[in-house]
Amino acid sequence: MSRYLTLSALAVLFLFPLAWSGYASLEEPSNYLEMAGFGEGLDTYATNSVLVSVMTVGGTLVVSALGGYGFARFDFPGKNLLFLATLAILMVPYATILIPLYVLLGYLGLQNSLVGLSLVFVMFQLPFALFMMRNAFEALPRELEEAALVDGCGTFRAFSRVLLAAVRPALITVGLFAFLASWNDFFAPLILLNDGSSFTLPVAVVSMTQHTFGAVDYGMLQAGVMVMALPCLILFIVLQRHYVRGFMSGALRG
Amino acid sequence: MTLTVTRSGRAAHAAPPARWRGRKVQGWLYAAPTAVIVGVLFLAPLVLVVWMSLNRWPLLGPATFNAPDNYLKIADNPLFVDAVVFTLKYTVITTVLLSGVALGLALLVQERRPGIAFFRTAFFLPGAVGFAAAGLLFYGMLNNDFGPIDPMLQALGITGEPVKWIGTPNMALFSTITLVLWRFAGFNMLILLTGLQAIPTEVYEAARSDGANRWQIFTKITLPLLRPTLALMLILSVTGSLLAFDQFFVFTNGGPDNSTVSMVMVVYRDAFFRFDLGGAAALSVVLLAALVGLNTLMMRRLR
Amino acid sequence: MRRRLAGISLLGVLALTAAACGGGGGGGGATPADGPVTITMWTRAATQTQTERLVQAYNSSHKNQVKLTVIPTDNYQPRIAAAAGAKQLPDVFAADVIFVPNYTSQGLFMDVTDRIAALPYKDKLAPSHMKLGTLDGKQYTLPHTLDLSVWFWNKDLYEKAGLDPEQGPKTLKEFARHATTIHDKLGEDGKVHGTFFGGNCGGCYVFTFWPSVWAAGAQVMNDDGTASLNDQPVMTEVFRIWRELYEKKATGPTAKEEQGPTWTGFFPKGEIGVMPMPSTTLGLMPKEMKIGVTPIAGPDGGESTFVGGDSVGISATSEHADAAWEFLSWTVSDDAQIEVMAKNKDVLARTDLAGNKYSAEDPRVVLINSLVAKGQTPYALRFGQTYNDPQGPWLRLAREAVFGDAAKVAQLNAEITKSLQQ
Repeated sequence: MSRYLTLSALAVLFLFPLAWSGYASLEEPSNYLEMAGFGEGLDTYATNSVLVSVMTVGGTLVVSALGGYGFARFDFPGKNLLFLATLAILMVPYATILIPLYVLLGYLGLQNSLVGLSLVFVMFQLPFALFMMRNAFEALPRELEEAALVDGCGTFRAFSRVLLAAVRPALITVGLFAFLASWNDFFAPLILLNDGSSFTLPVAVVSMTQHTFGAVDYGMLQAGVMVMALPCLILFIVLQRHYVRGFMSGALRG
Repeated sequence: MTLTVTRSGRAAHAAPPARWRGRKVQGWLYAAPTAVIVGVLFLAPLVLVVWMSLNRWPLLGPATFNAPDNYLKIADNPLFVDAVVFTLKYTVITTVLLSGVALGLALLVQERRPGIAFFRTAFFLPGAVGFAAAGLLFYGMLNNDFGPIDPMLQALGITGEPVKWIGTPNMALFSTITLVLWRFAGFNMLILLTGLQAIPTEVYEAARSDGANRWQIFTKITLPLLRPTLALMLILSVTGSLLAFDQFFVFTNGGPDNSTVSMVMVVYRDAFFRFDLGGAAALSVVLLAALVGLNTLMMRRLR
Repeated sequence: MRRRLAGISLLGVLALTAAACGGGGGGGGATPADGPVTITMWTRAATQTQTERLVQAYNSSHKNQVKLTVIPTDNYQPRIAAAAGAKQLPDVFAADVIFVPNYTSQGLFMDVTDRIAALPYKDKLAPSHMKLGTLDGKQYTLPHTLDLSVWFWNKDLYEKAGLDPEQGPKTLKEFARHATTIHDKLGEDGKVHGTFFGGNCGGCYVFTFWPSVWAAGAQVMNDDGTASLNDQPVMTEVFRIWRELYEKKATGPTAKEEQGPTWTGFFPKGEIGVMPMPSTTLGLMPKEMKIGVTPIAGPDGGESTFVGGDSVGISATSEHADAAWEFLSWTVSDDAQIEVMAKNKDVLARTDLAGNKYSAEDPRVVLINSLVAKGQTPYALRFGQTYNDPQGPWLRLAREAVFGDAAKVAQLNAEITKSLQQ
């Protein structure tokens, strides 16, 4: 019983900030109305955020599933080097690489575009995603693949028809984290997007809260926090069954 | 909520059988998208950063080669030298606390019992909130005029007057670490949970039948078998803490009196406020080299 | 499930390729030389209200259109730096006037000397903004918004504390006496405070403390902005008076921690007796609140103000310079200044329009407009990184002087000079 008491006390501590934020934002429901009409309109920013998140999730899944399979099941020259280079992405200060990235996206004709931003997010997601997917494929019994091959599938068909389904929990985990990262990030969209009408939610919300010089509207601030956080919380709870399994199925073992 | 643990992974780590080898082209095709993304969006900008660090690099107009000036002047940058000390201190404290809290939580929720799923969710949920949002949330929550914490503490008689949450160096560090613990403890708990679940129950049963008490089981069985998972967590936490930026940027802005300036904040300041892109690039290169070295070392020692 | 997943991945690929083929979309681009042009403009959230009004009025009356993007105030300078580094500045951008010398020296603005010379009211433009937009005899910017520091006093609190509600302070010492009286008489429950200031905010210190130095006829830097004079007697006297107010607890408990985002938020709640405030906040005060406005004074008298706000210029990389100038010159025309700015109680960018049909309604607005010519805007190439940056040397000096060890001021002043000369 004392275990449940401890757990309950801890749960209150962890949930309190979210509960308070929701409460504070609702004290004056007009906070939400005010936000809805800000700048280009909240729907514009939300649409941008959704677009960027969908592209990031799609891109991350495709790249990391293919790459994870390649790393798990094939030997090729430069394999270790590529893997280490991918992990090195974790070790670079975010703030510095953004200016060169901005220059580079300009060369590619992707400046000020949600596509360019999504590609950047895919890059930042790769260390985690590739690691997860490689381990998930490694954990699959080889017989599964052999069976598909015997059935006359080529490796790509074996991969796309049989193996992808088997690593579903890992795919969901990777997708979820790609979504969280792209949905919540403030700095990359701030630096890489030129045009107010292509801003994502976090940039718009921070603009809103700094709207009037020298005075912060705390209620509106928390309304902004809620608008940013709610979709993540909902998705988190809905997908929980899957990503917990994704983690458990050996995906995070070295 | 079901938590089935698959333990089929081990065998797969063995070398691929002969008929799987030698398919280099195919392997490369699968890895090609990764290679393109890493090459174009990471390595190319990284090369540019290195090149910038060898030049005086103005915002507009041509760069002039001045190596190794940008590197030599790092030692003359008192803000950076202080930031190194502070960041190391922050990293040690955060890593110790985060491991402790995450391990505690993982132990509390590792067994399947009625209602345990709810508690796992509760601890993990803050991880879904982005740093920008979490920073703004804490900013409001700890505010002396608007936030609920001060009135609550006063009502409970714990404090007499408003607490200066970010007013003194120690409190600013404390508040920031609280924010980090709140947001990341659940994630680390989940990592550790995967390690705990992978320990076969037979091992525990054997120990118990040998008469080991709970503490002995924990120190002699759980901890050693958890070592690989703990190592992974340690590496993630140390790397993340050494590169800490958002939590200080959003929350303390480096204050009070430069007491919470992290290394990446100095990089940011040099690039974006002093427009010294070459100097900022040099700092980043040094940081990257240090992190790669440290991580290599940790992986060797911990594996 | 298998099929659905394959479908999702395929969608992802399609979305990526389709969008990549679609190109960047939006923004500038090639427009026929004589057709209507859309120019892009950036401003920071702090001056969004004024800029939006100007852009709306312009767009509804002109063929050319301005597309405005508002950027979070704290992140404005990083945004400009990144855009300049990638050569992707908008056609027109506004900037805190204090940063303009640095931007011009980095070559971010286009030289508009000849275009300004052709304006009929070229000598009537806000003088301190024009001075900071000039480098080596060439002019790069026009005044965009003006924000002056003045003292606001709360007439109701003055009356309750037994002070004359119609007489604001005439010297800094009197200011301190008023603040102390209000604290002593009304501050018991901890809700009302004598005064307030941004004690952990470099920009707040320069904006609110320096005018007291100028009012006494002294200076804070040499003319080139390369040597700091912040250890000189008048400045230390000003610090000492504020220090005393803090020690007597007349400043409100959170002054020492105030980083800037909320420093003007307490006065409108009726919690503060008298304090320095930005003039732009006058229009945002609660309607029923009785507020007096008076210039900032030195320890023993005089009057001055810090002329802050934004300047605006054409970016050096703009391909629509003519269209951009058409918009910029319109923003300082009689029409825009009176029907957009004055109508909304904003300070005017021109000294010859101070008395207009709207200003007569509120004598406080007339007073603020009249200060434009008397105030100063300090000039220094390295202003931002020395004074505004929370990691710069000025904030440390100011905090030692007000809360810490005042004996360190001389040494820290040398560090400011060093930072200015970098």
